[in-house]
Amino acid sequence: MNFLAPAFLAALAAISVPVIIHLIHRERKTVVEFPSLMFLQKIPSRSVRRQKLRHLLLLALRCLALALLVSAFARPFFERQRAAAGGLTGAREVVVLLDRSASMGYSDRWTRARDAAKKAVSGLTATDRATLVLFATDASVASEPMATPDRVAAAIGAAKLSSEGTRYGPALKLASQITSASNLPRKEVVLISDFQTIGWSGSKHDEVVLPSGTKLTPVDIGGGSTPDAAVSQVTTERSATGDRDQVTVGARITNLGAAQRKVRATLEVGGRSVQSTEATIPGRSAQQVSFLPIAIPSGATRGSVSITPDSLTEDDVLNFTIAPDASVSVLVVEPSSPRANQSLYLSRALAIGDRPSFRVDVKRIDALTPADMDGRALVVLNEVTPPSGAVGARLRSMVSTGGGVVLIPGDQTVERWPTEWRQLLPAQVGDLVDRSGEAGGTLSSVDYAHPVFELFNAPRSGDFSTARFYRYRRLLARGDTGVVARFDDGFPAMIERSVGSGKVVLWASTMDSHWSNLNLQPVFLPFVHQLARHVGRYADPRPWFTAGEVLDLSRHGELTTKFTQGRGADSASELILDSPSGNRDRVTATGAAHLVTLREQGFYELRGPDTPVGSGRPIAVNIDPAESDLSHLDPQELVAAATTASVQRDAGIDANAATREEQERRQKLWWYLLLGALLVLAVETAVSNRLSRVTT
Amino acid sequence: MTAVATPARAQQQTSFLDPAVLARIGNLELLAKTVVEGFINGLHRSPHLGASTDFAEHRSYMPGDDIRRIDWRLYARSDRYFMKEYEAETNTNFRVVLDVSPSMRYGASSQDNRLSKLTYSCYLAACLTYFSSLQRDRIGLATIDGDLVDYVPPSAKHLQQILHALDRTDRKATAATTAAPATSRAKSQLLPPLRKLSETVRRRSIVAVISDFYEDPNDVLDALSYLRGRGNDMIVFHVLDPRELEFPFTDTGNFIDMETGERMPVIPEYLRKQYRELINDHTATLAKRMGEQRIDYSLFDTSKPLDKALFTYLGARQRFNRVR
Repeated sequence: MNFLAPAFLAALAAISVPVIIHLIHRERKTVVEFPSLMFLQKIPSRSVRRQKLRHLLLLALRCLALALLVSAFARPFFERQRAAAGGLTGAREVVVLLDRSASMGYSDRWTRARDAAKKAVSGLTATDRATLVLFATDASVASEPMATPDRVAAAIGAAKLSSEGTRYGPALKLASQITSASNLPRKEVVLISDFQTIGWSGSKHDEVVLPSGTKLTPVDIGGGSTPDAAVSQVTTERSATGDRDQVTVGARITNLGAAQRKVRATLEVGGRSVQSTEATIPGRSAQQVSFLPIAIPSGATRGSVSITPDSLTEDDVLNFTIAPDASVSVLVVEPSSPRANQSLYLSRALAIGDRPSFRVDVKRIDALTPADMDGRALVVLNEVTPPSGAVGARLRSMVSTGGGVVLIPGDQTVERWPTEWRQLLPAQVGDLVDRSGEAGGTLSSVDYAHPVFELFNAPRSGDFSTARFYRYRRLLARGDTGVVARFDDGFPAMIERSVGSGKVVLWASTMDSHWSNLNLQPVFLPFVHQLARHVGRYADPRPWFTAGEVLDLSRHGELTTKFTQGRGADSASELILDSPSGNRDRVTATGAAHLVTLREQGFYELRGPDTPVGSGRPIAVNIDPAESDLSHLDPQELVAAATTASVQRDAGIDANAATREEQERRQKLWWYLLLGALLVLAVETAVSNRLSRVTT
Repeated sequence: MTAVATPARAQQQTSFLDPAVLARIGNLELLAKTVVEGFINGLHRSPHLGASTDFAEHRSYMPGDDIRRIDWRLYARSDRYFMKEYEAETNTNFRVVLDVSPSMRYGASSQDNRLSKLTYSCYLAACLTYFSSLQRDRIGLATIDGDLVDYVPPSAKHLQQILHALDRTDRKATAATTAAPATSRAKSQLLPPLRKLSETVRRRSIVAVISDFYEDPNDVLDALSYLRGRGNDMIVFHVLDPRELEFPFTDTGNFIDMETGERMPVIPEYLRKQYRELINDHTATLAKRMGEQRIDYSLFDTSKPLDKALFTYLGARQRFNRVR
């Protein structure tokens, strides 16, 4: 029997208290001189002895109750699992953790790793069970859980390398779960890996402790000298020459070996080799390689920089995409007879934008056609009644498929707006608030966590309090939902609402000098830019992604806009994602399937249902650059960390607290001891009451 | 004969004197005088008892008889020797036998002004002897503790010696009680000293035995029979402390036998009932057996007034006279 809190056993010394009291009580008996004991001696002495015995019984009961209480607090438990694990006989539960990260592609590591895995399960008998866990960034069971050894061997043969990075934590945690669930007496975990330092340094070691009694055997495939060169970074610098945009590609090549290395770097664009150059890189250093500027292709094009293949080919190429500058197309709609400069500030502010650039068109409402909506990311209805009919329908369709609308009601009578537009409003538009007599109102409450205002969150990054709002419409929001900013009288200044995949934003004041002086404040330009980026769902295009990374399509409008624009909300959001190996996934721009894990190195292709193969948007995926770092970890360090509890406990140190606590919690012996103590105390009470009755 | 009030009536008319109050007097003679005169005043009559010298009868001369008691006038008439017999002795011998064994020292307590059994018994002996001396009896004293300790032969002039002996005995016992705890020794018995005492008794006496009688009733009766067998009238005062009767102890403790020094762990609560039964049986047995032997037995606890003892003595004297 073991105790979870053995320090409490020190309280057993308290048992001596009643004993000492008993002894002291005996020693301190009063001495009474009595004329003669003649009569007392005639009383049968057995009664006195029985009395003594009963007192001894009481003493024993009290001591027992105390001992039971102390034992309960010490939280005893029987360490069954350890006893079972300590045996060297019986069936085995073997979990083979096979590293299939990109670094395992170095030289013949993968072949040796699979051989080691096969060897690990080859000695198993029919009563033994084994599980193959393939791990890289994540871990998954590749064979049936707790399968027979021959099936595991088959799964090892079918295992393939991945392009992902290395993380030992998830694999060990999964192994811990499997061994914990097993009822076989012997539990073994075989870890086959190249033991990259990078895979262990970030792990929380406390979370990857294997159950007590589990034997962890490392099989080191790595180690030794690992010369390697890798393309670790690619930059694309855009420039304009005449009316054509150009891009200059640069690559950073790293030599991880000790010896100087001479490599040939080749730039490929659209599948064709464009340029190549040679570079000599000293040992353990990196060098930047630049290629000559090339014209930016019309569409998103695949590109890659590769170097002379070496032992680890996966990091010898770095894929990327070159796409034309994705400007945000903005349409500002103003009344048929606008005020002077009604859209001037807005359009000029947007025109200044560079990253991204905004393509701004200003049109009057009466000249608006459905074709004006094509390719638009954002439409600003600047104090106009939203269009009805075909134009209105087209605009609403654009919103539902990912576009955005900024509604500025101005002094419009909203009740006269088409019903379908009124239903889209994020709030009810009320009366006009005129605060020109009191020097105007200010923005008092701004949600700096909102993408529109997060730019201004840092100190001295913009002051909205200097802007004065002399007039604005009273927006009656339903609770706080969607309210992004409020005036100092508590009424919302800006409210946002999601409609389908797009957004509708309601602005209570105007964007010119008519009702406020916001357009004259320094914050106006970044505010308008942020508003257009957010509502127009713009995201900075990424030239490539890392294997194992999760791609959130809802945040990358530049990837999906081409295929979702102009389609209905029901069908257009369903897209096809072809992986480099030819696997096909159904994804959506938003909704349930907008998250997809990019596991393979190479080019994924995202396309609409009707888009032919090869015409879709390429998405470049590269291996984790950290995989190029082949720094070797001492396997025993990992073993020691993962089995700390067992090792320390064998040394007599109470360490495997979690497992021991589980056992103690499961057995709940303290509960029975406490119950026993209560029973003993009840018996003690009954006996002492009976004794006191007898003596009186 | 002198008319005498009945003891019962006198007891009702007398204000009892608390022994604890009497203890403050400190002078045995004054104490005895206080008690006895208070007692006599309560009788309203002169207590000249047993002073009769009336002729009772004649009997034939037996060889060895005192020739001074031959009725010579009757010899002259009848030419035969007759002895003159009288109704009673004018003066009788009154002896007090006082047990001064260690067990008699029990009961002294300065906190609640309680007397030890021995002190109480000394007062009692002083009162009895003083009272008897008023009647011109010859008074004597014997203190015993397994053997004769002190002996004052009967005499009409020995009151002062007796009071002095009693005072010395009381002081000696008090000093022994406070100075040293009980040590191991043999249990004192009544038989040896009483047998020795009986050998000194040449004349019929009234013998008052004052003791706590921690002996088997048979042994007590055997011891008393030596005196009783010599024609003495016996009055037994069984003196006990109230705590010996009630056994009111509560704390568990080691009880030490004051006679032998023997120790015994005792849980009073558990033994009280049986102890009371045993002590009551003991006193009842003594009373019954002594009644059968025509020995007057009285049980006294030390809280009872001393003049109650005088009533007992007086009642006994009356009975002896009637019987005779």
